[in-house]
Amino acid sequence: MRKSILIAASNLRRAKGQTAAITVLILLASAMLNLGLMLSLDYKDNFVRCFDNLHDGHVTLGISARDPGMEDFLEEVFREDGRVVEYTKNDALIMEGYFSYNGGEVNTEFVIMEKETALNRPVGRMEIVEEGDEKSGIYLPMLYGADGKIAVGEDVEITIGNHTMRYRVCGFLNSAMAGSHNCAMSALLLTADKYEELEEAGYAPTSTYVSVRIRDKAESEDFEAAVKNKVSARYQSVRLLSNNYELVSSSRYISQMICAGVVSAMAFIVTLITLVVISSNVIQYVQENMKNLGALKAVGYQSRQIVAGLLLQFLGVVLLAAAAGIGLSYCLFPAVNDMMISQTGIPYRVHFLPMSCAITLCVMVGAVALVVWLSAGRIRKIEPIVALRQGVLTHSFKRNHVPLERTGAPLQLALALKTCASGMKQNVTVCTTMLVLSLVLVFSALMVENVIVDMAPFINLIVGETADSCINVRAEAEEALLERAEAEEDITKLYLYNSEEVRHVDGVALTATMAEDFSQVNNQDVCYRGRFPRFDNEVAIGAKYACERGLEIGDEITLTAEGREADYLICGFTQISNNLGKDCLLTREGYERMAAFSSISFYINLKEGTDIDGFNERMEEQLGDGMNTAINILSVIEGSARVYVSLMRVIIVAILLLSAATIAFVLYLLVRTLLNSRKRDYGILKALGFTTGQLVLQTAASFLPAVILSTIAGIVVSSLVINPLTALFLSGIGIVKCTFTVPAGLIAVSGAGMVLLAFGLACLLALRIRKIVPVDLLAGE
Amino acid sequence: MKKVLLKTEGLSKSFSNGGVLQHVLKNIDLQLYEGDFTVIMGASGAGKSTLLYALSGMDTPTLGTITCGEEVISGYSSDELAVFRRRACGFVFQQIYLIDGMSVMDNVLAAGLLVNRDRKEVLARAKELLKAVDIREESWGKFPTQLSGGEAQRVGIVRALINSPRIVFADEPTGALNSKTGLDVLDTLTRFNEQGVSMVMVTHDMRSARRGNRILYLKDGAILGECDLGRYVSGDRARHEKLVAFLGEMGW
Repeated sequence: MRKSILIAASNLRRAKGQTAAITVLILLASAMLNLGLMLSLDYKDNFVRCFDNLHDGHVTLGISARDPGMEDFLEEVFREDGRVVEYTKNDALIMEGYFSYNGGEVNTEFVIMEKETALNRPVGRMEIVEEGDEKSGIYLPMLYGADGKIAVGEDVEITIGNHTMRYRVCGFLNSAMAGSHNCAMSALLLTADKYEELEEAGYAPTSTYVSVRIRDKAESEDFEAAVKNKVSARYQSVRLLSNNYELVSSSRYISQMICAGVVSAMAFIVTLITLVVISSNVIQYVQENMKNLGALKAVGYQSRQIVAGLLLQFLGVVLLAAAAGIGLSYCLFPAVNDMMISQTGIPYRVHFLPMSCAITLCVMVGAVALVVWLSAGRIRKIEPIVALRQGVLTHSFKRNHVPLERTGAPLQLALALKTCASGMKQNVTVCTTMLVLSLVLVFSALMVENVIVDMAPFINLIVGETADSCINVRAEAEEALLERAEAEEDITKLYLYNSEEVRHVDGVALTATMAEDFSQVNNQDVCYRGRFPRFDNEVAIGAKYACERGLEIGDEITLTAEGREADYLICGFTQISNNLGKDCLLTREGYERMAAFSSISFYINLKEGTDIDGFNERMEEQLGDGMNTAINILSVIEGSARVYVSLMRVIIVAILLLSAATIAFVLYLLVRTLLNSRKRDYGILKALGFTTGQLVLQTAASFLPAVILSTIAGIVVSSLVINPLTALFLSGIGIVKCTFTVPAGLIAVSGAGMVLLAFGLACLLALRIRKIVPVDLLAGE
Repeated sequence: MKKVLLKTEGLSKSFSNGGVLQHVLKNIDLQLYEGDFTVIMGASGAGKSTLLYALSGMDTPTLGTITCGEEVISGYSSDELAVFRRRACGFVFQQIYLIDGMSVMDNVLAAGLLVNRDRKEVLARAKELLKAVDIREESWGKFPTQLSGGEAQRVGIVRALINSPRIVFADEPTGALNSKTGLDVLDTLTRFNEQGVSMVMVTHDMRSARRGNRILYLKDGAILGECDLGRYVSGDRARHEKLVAFLGEMGW
């Protein structure tokens, strides 16, 4: 052991620069890995902690009725079901509405409660996380206050149904099951005076808000479906709003899932590059120290002691660097946490996570140990006498690459190509680095093009259908709407696009979207396999759900709505992430085989430049009580999508910076190794009259063939696989096929930029050549 | 009247060794002439190699000037010195210093193409010189480690001559060779000198020194004396005795 320590200490002393660069790479990889693990492992658990802390219900119901008969009926349903442990029901005002947020609008179902009632619920308690001095006003979910988007003391205008109310923001609340528009319902708490005022105004129906805890939370979806079936069968006219633990726990963490995925992928990429660099470093070490290793063996060192020395050297470095990386991840985590809270709306306290630290350390130490052990295999084959006789053999004498008498290339280029051709290990490291970073580049370009510059492709993928305006009218007002629309010059297209809840026979709730004619809808990519339903006995079903249930195109399924069943033939698969993939499409006639619409939504495309809000107001005036809501879809989508856009912007900047740092450190190691191994050659060339500038360019250019070829190969292959990979990445939210535009121009320019960056960095790093002076050569080095 | 090729005035070189300043070259005034085979001799530590490095632009002096033709090279930057070396100088090293990863021909062409971009012309001269030093064609594609020491040094001489330099500097060119191959190398240098190439050679070997027509003797960083031997003629006993007497005078 002592001998191994001596070898390790000697190696570390001689390779300070390489050790420093490897340390930084391991530090970055460990920081990313630990961050990814913290987000993946603990962040979602945070929902469970929040849920348990607030003793929230596994199923939440909002029923637009408050008569004693309904309450008795619910009690009977819960008792009969046998799964209910406890529940709390309170009065609430429940109505669809919207308010301005983040440059757009939040449109959701509002559950408006009196503050003290909400804070004292035995099941489904809400808590105040921030509060000002205001005594009268509203408390919003904390999601909308994160990053100071809406501040305490500000006034906020909230449209509830058709009426706009102005409230002073008193503070922010936390609710596990109703704390975000991603929960299908969003809680708003009013102070007693404001609640009474709104209740008296009658803008929102007085309803019953129920939070139910059941024995097994895994059955929350099933329980929700069963209760809704029974309620809607008995009270066909009531509006029923609900969510369940499974849906909410997933939907509130979509951003966190994307962020954790990207961070973990980057950790994998940096770790892979680090391992290739370490492997190359060990092989180079063995090659350059052949004579010394032979001498060590000659004086009695065993192969395993020399390998153990290398292992000690690298494991010492990896342990320290990984520990520092874990520390760095905790320094970065508060900033990431703030970003995440603005997406999830659930408070998270940064704390030490021994599990993720242990996994990070084990992965890094294990991977490095394995790579060093495998790469050092050649040491076992070294015969001391052969090593001592041969000394340093760093060149391959099999071939004189790029012979100067035959090549047509200029001298500097020819010498660069010679260096390149004789350094295969260097090329493998460069190629691996550039190949994987090309994937990062292509992903970034894809996100820039489809999320940041033009968010339409992203919205089409995530949201499904978009238009300018959505008008929801009572069923009896349909004719009036169509007549008014005929007279409106601003309308370019109007089509029925109405969502209702249906249930598959097993009781699973699916969001069914109906259109008269799906060829009219704007987003024709929603149905990615098969086709949209054309006849009343056809259904296109969410691919994720179909896959889970083993359903295929051509299969027949039975759906239920309002207590009536109908059979449908699956004609296509869809990908809509609204309900995490539990969606289906039906024709209007198809849906009406089960039930009639009580209200109908129409999507409207308006002429370019039309004031959407103005149009909505006009329609509202014209339709009067016939209209339920008018939504500025663009504004709503922008409000929600901007959160993803800002997240994506941060992710892209972070991964591009990390990629640049990775290229810099890999090149630092390679250039340094090259300069060390060719110091004598550089001395000779300088003595012959080569200038420092010529040698710097020659050295940097020797990396270019590998950099250019691997970047081209990397971006071509990545461009081909990036859409399937993105779909795989988003499969958790029901995306099966991604058809993002691959921006060839942007990718080509970015690829060229990456090559130039690598060349520029190599030039900078090769400036050390100026320290090599020919006189050292004459003096015997 | 000989034409002055390289001239030094007050050339001094000092090194700091552990905080102590060591004056290795002291105020040297020297003129090197075109066509001469100048030999610099002296005991170990006399400053022979330091003088060679300074004269050849491999190193810069601490004080004084070095003039080559109209160029005052002592004030040159490292890159200007590199350009001077490639245009005006050729080097033959004791340790030969061919680049191991390049073939014999590539070692020569790398130096040649640095100055002359006419590949055909450089290639023709390289072939001519390699033949002249008796490196056979089958060896041109070999790597330096596949050559004998004498062959490698002769390739080194070809590399030094490929750009037709005004002056060739040789630092103990036979120091790493056995006597037979050393003799071949000296014959080669002598032959090129006879063809008009100016040579400056550092040696502590009397057999090598005999090849020079002018001997400079260095002691403690200063030129102690010089001797004009006249052109080398094989077997010239009088020249040998003159050299022995000179060196005896110098305390050799």
